[in-house]
Amino acid sequence: IVNTIAKLAKTCILRLTVCKLYFILSDKVANGGASMWCELSQGNFFDEYQMEGVAAEHNEIYLELVPENLSRALKTAQSAKAVKIKLTNKHCPCLRVAVELPSLSSSSRIVTHDIPVGVIPRRMWNDFREPSMPDFDVSIYLPVLKTMKSVVERMKNLSNFVVIEANLSGEMNLKIETDLVSVTTHFKDLGNPPWASEDGCQSSAQSRDLESMAEACIDIKKLQQLLAGQQVNPTKALCNIVRKRIVHFILLHEEVSLQYFIPAIA
Amino acid sequence: CILQCFLSLTVFGRAIHAIARISDEFWFDPVEKGLALRSVNSSRSAYACVFFSSMFFQHYCWTAVSQPCQKEQQLSLPCKLIIKSVLPVFRCVNVLERNVEKCSISTNPNDHHITFQLLCRHGVVKTYNLSFQECDPLQAVFAKHMCPNILKVHSRLLADVMVHFPTSQEEITLSVTPMKVCFKSYTEEDTDFSRTMLTEIQLSPEEFDYFQVGVDSEVTFCLKELRGLLAFSEATSVPVSIHFDTCGRPIAFSIEDLLLEASFILATLCEAEKKAASPEPACCPQPWDR
Repeated sequence: IVNTIAKLAKTCILRLTVCKLYFILSDKVANGGASMWCELSQGNFFDEYQMEGVAAEHNEIYLELVPENLSRALKTAQSAKAVKIKLTNKHCPCLRVAVELPSLSSSSRIVTHDIPVGVIPRRMWNDFREPSMPDFDVSIYLPVLKTMKSVVERMKNLSNFVVIEANLSGEMNLKIETDLVSVTTHFKDLGNPPWASEDGCQSSAQSRDLESMAEACIDIKKLQQLLAGQQVNPTKALCNIVRKRIVHFILLHEEVSLQYFIPAIA
Repeated sequence: CILQCFLSLTVFGRAIHAIARISDEFWFDPVEKGLALRSVNSSRSAYACVFFSSMFFQHYCWTAVSQPCQKEQQLSLPCKLIIKSVLPVFRCVNVLERNVEKCSISTNPNDHHITFQLLCRHGVVKTYNLSFQECDPLQAVFAKHMCPNILKVHSRLLADVMVHFPTSQEEITLSVTPMKVCFKSYTEEDTDFSRTMLTEIQLSPEEFDYFQVGVDSEVTFCLKELRGLLAFSEATSVPVSIHFDTCGRPIAFSIEDLLLEASFILATLCEAEKKAASPEPACCPQPWDR
């Protein structure tokens, strides 16, 4: 998971609550407008989990860190006997990742990585709220991510932008257009999630023509980064398209959910 | 003329690569007993010497160059080569062993040329003629046996330790007490801790083949220069010996077996000297023999 996040963002926010961890990227200009919300339950990953937030009513911690550092520290832990992560304050606040590795002798090797973090003060916590699901025009399941990834990777060499369009009949197209060439890849029979049948969500969807496409033009690099980070096929992968505004990707695995918003280019 | 053929191309190629990490040029010094390759970096803070005994080669023929005046002692003629010209010869060391049947090196002092010739499969012959400069001999003097701290360990262990540090890590600190050994990222006083990730690895003395710590010490040296030696020693599978003292005194990494001997001597940082703002960034192995 950390590897995936590291591919999507240079710095991000790690929010710790009693039950869950969240990796958050807010839609600032520095990120190219893309934002991310990744949620996981601590019980699925940690044998022991203890945290104390700022105050009893606000039992949460918000940290800013470079996910690449965490990813590198965890690489050490691939053949580890035990891994402990602690928030400490030496020269500055940091996450201390202590890894116990097996060794030829009776005592283990201990590798410690100190990853500097920034503690986000409570007054700024509102900047990092969970983004709400937009009023989408079309919601559709994604094709097999591996296929989608190789298509997008090859398209990336030709153009900086890709148009992603889909309809409520399970069809999706990825289109690029340059002066010399235009390429469209068609996906069929993808299936649409049953949002429309849920109350209030998309009342206008039922009256909408099932064949009409909703499209948005997005930065191809962001899409490629999202797909490149997926090493395992998610249990569910879908995207919501708001015509010409934003594309909202939702990837669900057993233990973690990842939402990624890519704004449309005008 | 001097002619040699190799027993192990991989080992020789790795040695060249290791030396290349120290400097752009190296000394090519054939003597009666074998061939010495030496290098020193521009700031004189790192010195490498790899000596291949004549037994390392399938065929080693060394003729002393006769001096015009017979009263003078016959000296070997060390020469200086630019590493960049030699590296392509030994690029892709792993592939080399498979494709090259024989490699020979010959020197022609009159011509100021050294010729590397690779006889490859399918009758392909690659010949490299490189010019050299004559120069003064280079030799560092370092009393290894006087060092109070000696560690000996298989290069695999060192490689396993170094893998935890980022490849961009320039300097690391080795800290020893009789109870434990610790490698950690080097931090200066003005390091920006809020931006730097620090790594530390603790090992127990039991992991070392030989462990002698006479004096607790903490020495800081350049990791980049060492990585070349680690790759080289893995090719030879000879254990690495580390001789060192307190900070400021040089640290020597060496490997030794019947066929070859290699030493990489690195200067270590000394906090006191840094504060004095001396012109040299670190102490040098001393004295230099010129």
